[in-house]
Amino acid sequence: MYLLEELSQKYKRISIVGMAKNAGKTTALNYLIEEAMDEGLTLGITSTGRDGEGTDVVTGTDKPRVFLDTDTIVSVPTQLYDMADAGLEILRMTEYGSSLGQIMICRVADAGYVQVAGPVINANQMEMCEEMLALGADLVLIDGAIDRKSIAAPESSDAIILSTGAVLSRKMNKVVEETVHTVNLYRLPILDDGEARKEIEGLAENDQIIVIRDGKAVLLDITTGLGAGKLLDNEIDDKTTHVFVPGAFTQSVVADINPKKLKNVTFVLKDPTKIFIGATQWGKLCKRGLCIKVLENIQVAAITVNPTAPAGYKFDHEELVNAMQEAIPDVPVIDVMLA
Amino acid sequence: MVVVKRLANQKTRRETGLDYVVGAMNLQTPFGQKLIKEQKPFLPGQEEELRLELSHIQKMMDIEKAHEKETGVLLEAFMMMKDNSFTIERSENAALSVVEIFELKSLLLLMDKVRKLTTEMAVPEMFIPDDINELLDILDPGGDRLNTFYIYDSFSEKLAKLRAEKKELERDIRKEQKKKKNEIREKHGISLTPKFDITVAKSDSRSIEMINEISDLAKLEEDYMSVTYALVPDEAVGAIHKRMDDITADIEEEELEVREKLSKDIWKFKDVLLENCQRIGNLDITLAKAIYADKHDCVMPEIVTEHVLEYTEGRHLQVEDIIKKKGGQYCPVSIALKDGVTCITGANMGGKTVSLKLTGMIAILAQYGYFVPAKSARVGLSNFMQILIGDSQSIERGLSSFGSEMEELKEIMDNSKERSLLLIDEIASGTNPVEGLALTKSIVDYLKTQQFISLITTHFETVTEDEDIVNMQVTGLANADFDKLNREIRYANRRERIEIIQKYMDYRLSRVDSSKQIPKDALNIAKMLGIDKDIIDRAKQYIK
Repeated sequence: MYLLEELSQKYKRISIVGMAKNAGKTTALNYLIEEAMDEGLTLGITSTGRDGEGTDVVTGTDKPRVFLDTDTIVSVPTQLYDMADAGLEILRMTEYGSSLGQIMICRVADAGYVQVAGPVINANQMEMCEEMLALGADLVLIDGAIDRKSIAAPESSDAIILSTGAVLSRKMNKVVEETVHTVNLYRLPILDDGEARKEIEGLAENDQIIVIRDGKAVLLDITTGLGAGKLLDNEIDDKTTHVFVPGAFTQSVVADINPKKLKNVTFVLKDPTKIFIGATQWGKLCKRGLCIKVLENIQVAAITVNPTAPAGYKFDHEELVNAMQEAIPDVPVIDVMLA
Repeated sequence: MVVVKRLANQKTRRETGLDYVVGAMNLQTPFGQKLIKEQKPFLPGQEEELRLELSHIQKMMDIEKAHEKETGVLLEAFMMMKDNSFTIERSENAALSVVEIFELKSLLLLMDKVRKLTTEMAVPEMFIPDDINELLDILDPGGDRLNTFYIYDSFSEKLAKLRAEKKELERDIRKEQKKKKNEIREKHGISLTPKFDITVAKSDSRSIEMINEISDLAKLEEDYMSVTYALVPDEAVGAIHKRMDDITADIEEEELEVREKLSKDIWKFKDVLLENCQRIGNLDITLAKAIYADKHDCVMPEIVTEHVLEYTEGRHLQVEDIIKKKGGQYCPVSIALKDGVTCITGANMGGKTVSLKLTGMIAILAQYGYFVPAKSARVGLSNFMQILIGDSQSIERGLSSFGSEMEELKEIMDNSKERSLLLIDEIASGTNPVEGLALTKSIVDYLKTQQFISLITTHFETVTEDEDIVNMQVTGLANADFDKLNREIRYANRRERIEIIQKYMDYRLSRVDSSKQIPKDALNIAKMLGIDKDIIDRAKQYIK
């Protein structure tokens, strides 16, 4: 199976997102880079912050540098250029700055290790990815310095590769359950083009809760937060069809809403990263008839699993891959430790 | 006495609007931005140089219109330029880094582009950068003139050979390691990662025991929960590694050598490179002046040797911008001045101060080598220029308006010399009228005897009675249709009132007989602006 080639047909920019720190995101990146070498694919590599340093700044755990093959397009800040072990041909000096100097786009002329860093601002990241593609990359992989689920926000890439692994829990079924939950959230249905969507998109910038009654949008003077639920309950009547929540969507938002009302409205969010509800609670809410739609969802291109945790325990490779694949049949699952 | 060499102080440059115009220059290159900060005015005796400078602006205006597309490309190239003069200086004694050489090569490519473009556009010779292709050939041995850089193999045969050798060794190592990896999998059923290592939990004692038995794997590191083993390089691999380390060191050394050589080559071209930066900077400024002049209807002032200042239909650019933004129309003003004292008198709100500033603007712009906002202008260069005008800054400094006026008057007296241009706005209006008038008259008496062009706005009419004084009067509301004006103003709100009065105001100046009375419009305007009728009537009684 030519995983990357298949992905590159569908997507041009893929973010690698970790479910947690040490979920094996960098290992996954290294795996994908090797895979690309084998498939003869030219990659573009960038990161949302400084990545590839010898040691992860936050956790102190070991973090390998990225080994890049000849012809890979990579973003490197000026101050890290001389530290690269690979030979790098400078193709462009971008306008994007970083704490380590301006970001340059380089082509690997001589394979070797490189410390990768990219622009900090999402919009710049987008532009730079476009440039990398124009310079001949078949696919751009974006890595983040700190594993943060929020960088999966849809505007930064076409799709994500989700890195998950033993670090999440000592129980394998728990690891699978949480991963499935995240994937389900990312793939929440998109609110159809229609009156409701039009109304919400027109007012979404106000950062206020919007309810749609009888096809008409009403801005509410409450922001999401503790206690908002009760006020929201008051606002939902028989004619309310949609509730748009701009900020974080937590348990407390829906806790105080009358179960009968809950069934009859659709909650709308900007994107799935706004949801902060655990798998168990989510299951209960869904049973109670909670219906959530998003303005934009997130494509999950693949899932990588790392069966070992830094704490020392590990799962059986095949068992984990199989369990994960069974739970999420339509997304390829790859064990990064098993070449 | 302190000899002041500057033409005009900071306040004069600001109040006349020179700073405003300079700030509006859309400079694209770091060289232009640097040079404009150092720009100096042309002084008497430099008329010829100034005429040449102005003729270049005219030339660039014509070129810009004839080559619109090329001008766009030129500006784009300008925009991409970075100031690398420090790198050039550094090349004398240092091996420049790859990034530095890349940036310099980018600049060279842009210089060459500008050279070709400007030659094609027939820009004046002095702005065209010199050909630097000789240096480009050195930095771009492949000759493809792409804006990329790397210590390419073609820089050194030795380097190319070393790199090829290293690659060969890398392949050998990988081959050996893969062989070992397969052996271990077949023999022990253990799969190593692509990096040829494996992490095992300490609790998994069976695996640990087994791995400890494998001589090809050695403990790489361990923490309290797990152990990582890595492939031990056997003798053959060890030898290759040793050889590779040597070669890597040789490569680095050779790369340094190449960088040193390139740096030396760059240093040889230092003079032409810095000269090119200068030329491009000057072209940038001249083109920006031309584009600005074109956009703002400015003309080339005629530079004459006698000390005069004449213009027809002049417009103060800063005021015009504000009026245009509001959708209004600017009323241009003409004036002709020569050595001696000229007074501007006339109605309140009649634009006396703006006319004063405009006169300064035209004079100072011309002397700094800019086109001027008028239909035509004749300018004789001055040695010294100063505007004396109330501004908020003196109040911020805690001085009373009279105090700061006297301070500035002293500065003028100390620094003015032959061929000075003095612009004085309602001096001594902030003190009692008896002493104020006396002081104004004695200042005028002094100025009359000097070789200065002095322009003074005043409400003291006896100042203008002297026959030697030229009196220019604002037409004001003299010809306005008051019925219409009053009707319009009756229903207007506060802000609209001001605008309506401005609409009816004729700002033009005309020379009047010295004995002619200054029109008394103050009460009229006060009334129009909504001051209580009782107060106005009472004031009228006092005049009687």
